[in-house]
Amino acid sequence: MYDLDLFEHTDTVNELLARYGVKFGVYKNNVFKEQLFPFDAIPRVIEKQEFDWLERGLKQRVVALNLFLKDIYGEKKIIRDKVVPEEFVYASSGYLAQCEGVRPVKDIYSHISGIDLVQGKNKEWYVLEDNLRVPSGASYPMIARELCRRSSPRTFQNYKLEDNRNYADLLRRTMDNVNVGGHTVILTPGRYNAAYFEHSYLAERTGVHLVNGRELTVEDDKLYFVDYSGKKERVGAVYRRISDEYLDPMNFNPESVIGIPHIYDIYRKGNVALLNAPGNGIADDKGIYYFVPKMVKYYLGEEPILQNAPTYLPFYEEDMRYVLEHFDSLVLKDVAEAGGYGVVFGSSMTAKQKEDFIALLKKEPRRFIAQEVIDFLDIDIMEKGEMVPRKADLRAFVLMADEPLVWKSGLTRFSRNPDSFIVNSSQGGGFKDTWVLSR
Amino acid sequence: MKNLHFRYAMRISFDSPVTNHRFTVKCIPQTDERQIIENLVVSVFPNQSLSQDRDSFGNRCIFGHCEMEHQKFEIVVEGDARTGRSPCETGDASHMLGLYRYQSFYTIPGEKINAYFEKFSFSENMNDYEKGVFMMHRLYEDFRYVQGITNIQTTAEEAMELGCGVCQDYSHILISLCHLAGIPARYVVGMLTGEGASHAWVEIYQDEKWYALDPTNNLIVDDQHIKISHGRDYRDCLINQGVFTGCAKQTQEIQVVVEEN
Repeated sequence: MYDLDLFEHTDTVNELLARYGVKFGVYKNNVFKEQLFPFDAIPRVIEKQEFDWLERGLKQRVVALNLFLKDIYGEKKIIRDKVVPEEFVYASSGYLAQCEGVRPVKDIYSHISGIDLVQGKNKEWYVLEDNLRVPSGASYPMIARELCRRSSPRTFQNYKLEDNRNYADLLRRTMDNVNVGGHTVILTPGRYNAAYFEHSYLAERTGVHLVNGRELTVEDDKLYFVDYSGKKERVGAVYRRISDEYLDPMNFNPESVIGIPHIYDIYRKGNVALLNAPGNGIADDKGIYYFVPKMVKYYLGEEPILQNAPTYLPFYEEDMRYVLEHFDSLVLKDVAEAGGYGVVFGSSMTAKQKEDFIALLKKEPRRFIAQEVIDFLDIDIMEKGEMVPRKADLRAFVLMADEPLVWKSGLTRFSRNPDSFIVNSSQGGGFKDTWVLSR
Repeated sequence: MKNLHFRYAMRISFDSPVTNHRFTVKCIPQTDERQIIENLVVSVFPNQSLSQDRDSFGNRCIFGHCEMEHQKFEIVVEGDARTGRSPCETGDASHMLGLYRYQSFYTIPGEKINAYFEKFSFSENMNDYEKGVFMMHRLYEDFRYVQGITNIQTTAEEAMELGCGVCQDYSHILISLCHLAGIPARYVVGMLTGEGASHAWVEIYQDEKWYALDPTNNLIVDDQHIKISHGRDYRDCLINQGVFTGCAKQTQEIQVVVEEN
């Protein structure tokens, strides 16, 4: 089933990726290091029918998450009706009081969502987490596909698959949909950000300006781009690749020097669109994750198509009992952490670690979720000329334009370590292209 | 009921010129059920570019920007207030109040506040308002008013450990205690009759109404207080915030005068 021609070009593709600067930065012990993102040429292949089903599920999930955000920062019906306990909202660092009552353009909160899925050995798909703040990753399969087509055009004659190079068009449509007049820009914290390659690539492909905070200024309640000559031009939409915290020193972290003072104040007035909306962290909180299938039912009156990995909230007594009884078979996640940090497997703890952890769990039950360890369906990668099975996930991208759009591809990340379940690129994993067959 | 005249004046002097100054000020009292604000005059310097709005808590804000060199920033808010028109303010339904039910940056209790709270015993028939008043009385007895020990960064727990502080500290501790008792509570910034600086107190929620308690003076707010803003804690009610370019030392002077008309 595999096409050998493409594999012969793996090294060429990796060299080209390096030359194009497809890297991501990692901060470890206060040192900034850039790493290549190793590309594996064996694609993850998803059949048309299966992806059609995933697409329906992804749209449903993201529509519900958007309604949740609108509700939480508005009427709070889901709290009133006791579907989501209030403490999970207000004790979360993702909830931002500054967003209370603020309505984004067209009520779209999560314009670009990255939904992380895994497939079990039973072939079932499970959602592992939702990323609704600034999910990265679409640029990697985009450019990899481009380079693969160039190195091995024959491969793409033999297979009928969806062209994923349209991500830029989908993104442009999403940004233009909320633009309130003027330019659309991508705001980057700069060259030393982990995903700087992606920022520049998406700007290039969508044909919008790539700007930093110093090039944007608020005047007369409007946002302007100031060019090299000092000329000012109105900006109507900002795809910001900087976190809420650093966006505006007048409204969020006052120490931020990469943000734009007062941008949030004119956003509140509806004079600029921000993608994604500030405050989205409440909906992709690991504790809130548990409630997403309930949100689908609550807001849409539909059965959720996609399922979560079986998750327990020690916050509920019944779940706490289950977690303590099945501790060794569960994975425990600290709801405040991301990027593969704060994840521990019950089975890998020493007796002492376990004892300490359980004490902490009992003291701060809201801080953790526990999940069944999913028996991942391994996928093959090439290592030193041999095919070996590895754990992998799939980040699917859902864009909310005038209608929800699912990109017919996705970022497949794999763990290079055969014993590891953690695929995050910040933890040394690699990536693959994701092929969605077109028939 | 009182008919008061108020004047809030704040001036920042920079010892060398600054440019590209952006600021947000929240020091404008609003008419509500308790108070009617009239003859309001707000003057801001520099005032080349000003706009206004309400923040997420409903407080009035003025936003400004000055690119030119300047060495002075000044705001004066003056007007008349008819106070004491109602003992409380209508609040939102209970499910809307999560925001004010949980601890925030300044109010997170530690050992001292938790231990202090545990010593309270409320009688069974006390409602939230009565519990709040009870805790205010206790705090007033056990905490001393001393200026210059705490500062604007002091949290409730730190102040509790020191055993003394100013209105900001009294308010943060009372809010922290209210949250421990499950009572929604919020921080209020305003002005008090007399001369001095701005003042802070607390509002607590009972049956869809907000009642105001002044723990620094151990009293239920009546007609001597003019409210400016509210939020979860000090951070949400910053009277003045700014960023500018320049390397200048700043000196701030605040003068508040509230007297009967």
